[in-house]
Amino acid sequence: MRQLQIIVCIKQVPDPEGPASAFEVDSEAKKVVPVGIPPVINPFDENALEVALRLKEQNGAKVVAISLGERLSKPVLRKALAAGVDDLILLEDPNFKDLDSYSTAYILSKMITKVESYDLILTGRQAGDWDFGVTGLLIAELLQIPSINLAREVRIVDDRVFVEKLSRYGYDVVSAPMPVLVTVSSEAGDLRYTSVLSLKATSGKPVKVYNAEDLDIDPEKLETRGIFSLFPYHIQRECKFIEGGSSAEKGENLIIQLRKDELI
Amino acid sequence: MEGRQKNKKILVLVERDNGGLAPVTFELLKAGKDLADQLGADLCTAILGHEISAVLNEIAHFSDEVYCIDNPLLRDFRVELYAQVLWKICCDVNPDIVIMGHTLDNLDLAPRLAYKMGVQIITDCINLTIEPETEYLLCTKPVYGAKILSTFKLEKKPCIITIRSKAMEPIGSSDANGKIIYLNPTIDESSIDVALIEKIKGETIRLDKADTIVAGGRGIKDVEGLKQLEEMVNVLRRYFSEVELGASRPLVDMGLVPSSRQVGLTGEKVAPELYIAVGISGALQHLTGMLGAKNIVAINNNPKAPIFEVAHYGVVGDYQDVVPAIIKKLKELL
Repeated sequence: MRQLQIIVCIKQVPDPEGPASAFEVDSEAKKVVPVGIPPVINPFDENALEVALRLKEQNGAKVVAISLGERLSKPVLRKALAAGVDDLILLEDPNFKDLDSYSTAYILSKMITKVESYDLILTGRQAGDWDFGVTGLLIAELLQIPSINLAREVRIVDDRVFVEKLSRYGYDVVSAPMPVLVTVSSEAGDLRYTSVLSLKATSGKPVKVYNAEDLDIDPEKLETRGIFSLFPYHIQRECKFIEGGSSAEKGENLIIQLRKDELI
Repeated sequence: MEGRQKNKKILVLVERDNGGLAPVTFELLKAGKDLADQLGADLCTAILGHEISAVLNEIAHFSDEVYCIDNPLLRDFRVELYAQVLWKICCDVNPDIVIMGHTLDNLDLAPRLAYKMGVQIITDCINLTIEPETEYLLCTKPVYGAKILSTFKLEKKPCIITIRSKAMEPIGSSDANGKIIYLNPTIDESSIDVALIEKIKGETIRLDKADTIVAGGRGIKDVEGLKQLEEMVNVLRRYFSEVELGASRPLVDMGLVPSSRQVGLTGEKVAPELYIAVGISGALQHLTGMLGAKNIVAINNNPKAPIFEVAHYGVVGDYQDVVPAIIKKLKELL
């Protein structure tokens, strides 16, 4: 049997764990300006990478990571190689800027059809910047393959995937023939630790870079998000801090205060 | 103004729950009604499932037209079938705007419908309005982990919107008495490759119905800590009717608490009377799920934790000391 091929789509985003102050809003230009925080691989895409690497260990597979953007940071995305991905492909073009979900899915699907073959495509459930949660499923629609959303576990047996997908009151176990696309949720687990050593060891690995022309993409046909306005979203309440000589006393005083304010 | 144009339509997908209407349905109807009023459009509803007649009359009270597909194949949610039939309804009704709840099922359904219809989709919106001069839809959603609010202008119709629960008021009364239109499209199962093998039931809790939530976060290190929170929940049940344990994402990802209890961007959106956050630092992706709570109490040993910026009451201290004292005092009082 030929080797299993897994593709993981990874997006570069400003670190979503960064403090609110690190996300400055240029309301005029309708742009978000990250200040003092590094870009990272979208955390949900890291969950997808981890799923791919586990499958590689269990079933043997070649794992290819693809990232798309206007300007990509190789050092950031090389983390995928250090974690154990075999190939990294970057789709970089000035026209790949502020794209809507459909255009993003369209470019990624064009690239995926260029990869010699694929059995499983993994994406994060949503990106930590715009939080749409649409692109993964659209890729599957464009490739006309089945898709399974919100996986917490993925296994491969023979030529089928078995997925535990989140449901309102638990999870569903579903199965589909490959090729198939699966979007991964954080319940699947964090990406394994990547050491400086493994970053160094893979630093010489070539990274393939394609632009719009390489992929036969007409920039005129790409659509951007129609942003009308952009504002910081911040709530600041006057917090009443409960006093007390010890933590325990503060706890008691809290209840006394809540009773006084007729909340309990 | 051109007056009422009969051909404009807003289509709301009805959400059901345990045989009745899910609370979010009334929020969707309110959003739909507001847009319909601004556009002079009809408010239509779509309801899919099997043996759903019990809710049809209620939904007709809020709709100009109800489109109903009742078929045994739709008993369980299977996204491929739901996308197929909802697409058929959209082809028949030709709505300007399709409104759906931002539920786990619809996270799966809405993008597929958007692809079939070849239309734009904006997910997880908390506000919708019509730009009067153009009649374009403006929809606002929190982005960047809820640090920023972005408003999108949709110049093309139709479009699909999913709405975050608890972000909008539920609809009050309505004097509509819509016609119920039964559709009976052929449902094609043959093209579906994804097979459902088993439905694993976790806990069947309704976090969004709770009037009090005690939620734990990363600061709660172990099962012992969780037990303390559970005891607080039990004591509070003497006073409140619906008290539940909630959690921020780290506890769920660690497997200590089931997903159904997760509050936040990728979990439940809640708006209880009282929300007690214990050991939760207040990452915005958590805050976005609970900002609607009427009264927020934060217990955290870090006085600079962002949770205190949104809390009404704050206790700076180690939860392992604070929580037992709270439980003791509650037992005295309640």
